[in-house]
Parts: sequence; C-alpha cells; structure tokens
Amino acid sequence: MPTLHVLSHSPFGDERLTSCLRLLGAADALLLCGDATYALQAGTAPFEALNTRRVKLFVLAEDAEARAVQVPDWAEAVDYPAFVDLSIHHDKVNTWL
Amino acid sequence: MKFAIALFSAAHAPSSRRALLFAQAALAGGHEIVRLFFYQDGVYNASDAVVTPQDERDLPKQWRAFITEQQLDGVVCIAAALRRGVLNDEEAKRYQREAVAVSAPWELSGLGQLHDAVQDADRLICFGGA
Repeated sequence: MPTLHVLSHSPFGDERLTSCLRLLGAADALLLCGDATYALQAGTAPFEALNTRRVKLFVLAEDAEARAVQVPDWAEAVDYPAFVDLSIHHDKVNTWL
Repeated sequence: MKFAIALFSAAHAPSSRRALLFAQAALAGGHEIVRLFFYQDGVYNASDAVVTPQDERDLPKQWRAFITEQQLDGVVCIAAALRRGVLNDEEAKRYQREAVAVSAPWELSGLGQLHDAVQDADRLICFGGA
C-alpha cells in the first residue's frame, strides 16, 4: 500500500528521518516540509542518506525557498495543489507529527 | 476525493498554516473536506481569544473565515479544549467559568467525530508538530 510520508521536523533535532527511512517501502514517497527541508543541505548526513537511498522525494517548494535550501535534481519541488495530488496518488498519508 | 483533516498544533505553529493552505488547495482542486478536526494544541486555532501580532498571519481569523465561507464542519476536541481553557458558552456555564473563547462556526465535540470522519473520508491528512 503506497504511503506518502510527511516530515516537518528538522533532521538535526531528532530521529524521525532516520526512522522514516528505515520504514520506507519501495512504493512509498517522502515529502519534506518546514524545517525537514534542511535535510537537503548539501554535504550533511541527512543529505547523503537521502542521496544514497534515492527515495521518491518531494519538497514543499515555499518551505525550501524560505530557508534558502537548494532542491537537488533528484528531488521534486511541489506546491500545495501538487501536495493534494500526492496525497491522492498514495493510499495513505503518514505524517510524522 | 473526500478528505478528513486533523490539526494537532497551535495557531502560531507553521504546521497550522500548512493545514489551512492544504485545505484551501483541496477545495480549489474540486475535492471535498468531510470534516476539519482540531485536536490537542490544535484547539487554539478555534479560540477567539488569540491575538496575533500584526505582521503575522492571523490563523484563527483565517480558519473562521474559511470554515464559514465554505460551510465546513469545524470540530474542536472537547476534552483537549477544556484542559486548555478554550470553552464555548455551554461549557463555560457548565464549569462556571467567565471566559468564552469559542463560538460558531466551531463546534466542541468528542474524538468520535474524528473516527467518524475517517470512516467517511478517502484520506486522513494530519498536520502538527513543527
């Protein structure tokens, strides 16, 4: 059952991203929003973890822009209508509250 | 597509803003929101007593306008609201409190309303935390 995982906490403050990557299934996707977009800062451990795994990765565009985080070409920046579409294209949405 | 949306964070949290923008985008995309459920600190979004700094987005005001204009079902968890002092007229009278912070279009009700919404909806989307 394809699940969209939504992360909003900074990957430098807790283990949510690590736990999420451990659970992520082959059909699942990950959406980074809020401070979770800091995971895409080049050269950091979260960045390398995501780059190595090559998960289906989406980033809320305005949250990345607000933090001056560059979205790499292996991730896709999305707006709110695209966020809605993602939630429909996956069977479940799991927010890491 | 029918959405149920649950919000767990206070009005000043970034996730509350994301919840509102998601809800607006869902309706703009022709989808339906069967219920908005405000749980835990999310009950503060329904409070008339919140005063937002002038240079910030007034989430309680924007939720109220959105729910009223779109005629949505905005349900506030009654247990979470009581423990945070976010009372409507009925509960203020029941517990002999002066402060009334919630009024229509908001409704105080139980967690069963979230369960009911999840049964009815195709997707449950939760917002909270950071």
